[in-house]
Amino acid sequence: MEHIGVRETVQFMGLTFNWETLCMTWLAMAIVIVISCLAVKSLKVIPQGWQNFIEIVVVWLQGQLDNMMGKRGSMFAPFIVSLFLFLLTCNLLGLIPTLASPTNDLNTTLGLALLVVCMVHFFGLYFKGGHYIAHFFQPFPPFVVINMIEEIAKPITLAFRLFGNILAGEILIIVLLHLLPIWMPIPSVLWLGFSIFISCVHAVIFTMLSMAYLGNAVKE
Amino acid sequence: MIELNATLIAQVLNFLILVVILRALAYKPVANMLQQRADKIKETIDKANADKKAAEDTLAQYKSQLADAQKRAQEIVDKAEITARQEREALVAETKKEIDRMKQNAQLEIQNERDRAFDQMKAEIVSLSLAAAEKIVAKNLTSKENDKLVNDFISGLDKNMFENAK
Repeated sequence: MEHIGVRETVQFMGLTFNWETLCMTWLAMAIVIVISCLAVKSLKVIPQGWQNFIEIVVVWLQGQLDNMMGKRGSMFAPFIVSLFLFLLTCNLLGLIPTLASPTNDLNTTLGLALLVVCMVHFFGLYFKGGHYIAHFFQPFPPFVVINMIEEIAKPITLAFRLFGNILAGEILIIVLLHLLPIWMPIPSVLWLGFSIFISCVHAVIFTMLSMAYLGNAVKE
Repeated sequence: MIELNATLIAQVLNFLILVVILRALAYKPVANMLQQRADKIKETIDKANADKKAAEDTLAQYKSQLADAQKRAQEIVDKAEITARQEREALVAETKKEIDRMKQNAQLEIQNERDRAFDQMKAEIVSLSLAAAEKIVAKNLTSKENDKLVNDFISGLDKNMFENAK
């Protein structure tokens, strides 16, 4: 219990890295890539096995993208699909004993959130130019302050929501295992089940919010 | 617990690498396959619609042909009926004419026979009269009385004969 929140760090080229987070991230990446490989190994017109799963994700996200962004949505589809699969795998990874979620580290969630926000502003400027800057001063110029706070709040809320939920889930799993005697496993099992649900929900929320932010910026 | 360091940058790079790999490895083939499936479904539906339309056209064509054939059959039947009636009427008229002709012939023949019989009878009467006259002459009547007797006999016969014959 004492190791919760204490991170094993490594130094590389004068920079500090959280070693466990990196390892777990690579593991999650490997799992996503392996599942994708299994899915596309023998693509058939009539889907089978993992192809079903990947197709459901791709079709669902493409539909959402079309709704939120219109024609430009397809451009972001690979990014959004990867984001969802990566977050889902990361969140679920922590539920396996001895493994940890990469998303229980604020560095991961904030990194992704900042990436999304940077993309929002970059593509907003790219597609809309001056209009994009002008919309911060809508409906009256003094609103720029509120709009700025909103823009700053976006990555912070996005990052902390995911980080907090996943970290809390993992902490509670450890706490329940330590608190309750071994003959009363029901609360642990219930919490594990709930954590699976939370993991999926937060992968969806992060992805949907990213899409919504991107949609606002690039929709025609 | 909340401590930011270079891991943040590493995670962003990790994720970008994952995006690139997944895009090449999984997204493109899956998207292509989905597009291919959508095309195939669209093609199948289009083909089914075209087939349905063709079937409907053929059905309509058959129906019109059937109606046409029925109409023509009716026309043929009507025509045949008209022809038969005309032929029957012509036959009846012909027969009537024939009957009339035969009737006329018969009448003519009867008339001829009657005339001939009358002529024959007249000749016989004359010869009978002559015989009678010879008998009277044989009884030595006067020539005057003889002529009167013969003439009276003949004229009397003539009158009765014609009245009976007519």
